[in-house]
Amino acid sequence: MATDKELNDFLQNVERRAFKQAVYAVRKDESALDIVQDAMIKLAEKYGDKPAAELPMLFQRILQTTILDYFRREKVRNTWVSLFSGFGRGDGNDDDDFDILASLEAEQGSAAAESSADQVERTQTLRLIDDEVQKLPTRQREAFLMRYWQDMDVAETAAAMGCSEGSVKTHCSRATHALAAALQAKGITL
Amino acid sequence: MNTDDINLAYKIRHALDEQLDHLPASTVDRLAAARAAAMARKKPDAARFGFASGAGWRGIGAFLAGPTVSRLAIAVPLMALVIGMGGFYQHEQQQQLAALADIDAAVLADELPLTAYLDPGFNAYLESQQRQQ
Repeated sequence: MATDKELNDFLQNVERRAFKQAVYAVRKDESALDIVQDAMIKLAEKYGDKPAAELPMLFQRILQTTILDYFRREKVRNTWVSLFSGFGRGDGNDDDDFDILASLEAEQGSAAAESSADQVERTQTLRLIDDEVQKLPTRQREAFLMRYWQDMDVAETAAAMGCSEGSVKTHCSRATHALAAALQAKGITL
Repeated sequence: MNTDDINLAYKIRHALDEQLDHLPASTVDRLAAARAAAMARKKPDAARFGFASGAGWRGIGAFLAGPTVSRLAIAVPLMALVIGMGGFYQHEQQQQLAALADIDAAVLADELPLTAYLDPGFNAYLESQQRQQ
């Protein structure tokens, strides 16, 4: 059974990565923070007495479910909004017009402008990688992040995603190839 | 996945990790607050509330160490309840035995063999007799 310290250490270890995972999925920082908080509370409330070794898989499963719940709620909310009002419909489509180059220029004008050229280039590279990870199909991104970012093995990832181990391997392979191709197309070598 | 793919995956992981260090302070604070909220609502350890872990024994110890009057106020009704339930159980058992003995006696005293009641023709005969009466 996980002690208070083990659970706290686990949450501290995964909270930032979980936040980024949620941001990749929902693309809104505030919503991602709410999702991570919900997932943490659900884990502590319902599975706080489970062994520490089971926590990563359980947390990932809860996180994915919470993200799905978010999309369901958004769908219902959007349905009602579109039924009763035509206002504000453009808000949700702002992300489609998101221009990575424009945002990079803005960065250069602020914090990055004070740094050296190498740091700016590194920051840009990191943001491009972040952007490419976000562009991956959902299942591929989930599998890739769980396997290579959350240090979960194939069996744990399969259990958290609710699919076979073969599917996890396929998703991971496709995700890696897609990222390699995208980064190569942008002239990024790691 | 070949070695190159795995290497690339871990390089991307390194890049993603590097980004985590640059999260805004407000986000980091909010995550810490979320963690604290989760820890406050952690599911209690089941064993902590179990009888064997000591809570139950501590309760009995506290009861035995209390004043005599309060101990009697709880013990006497409990004893009465236990004795009453025992008596009621005994009485019910006696009633059941007596009923079974009556049935056995009636069956043994009857001139008809038991197999007669299993014969459909005999049942039809009994019904016709009842209708005639």
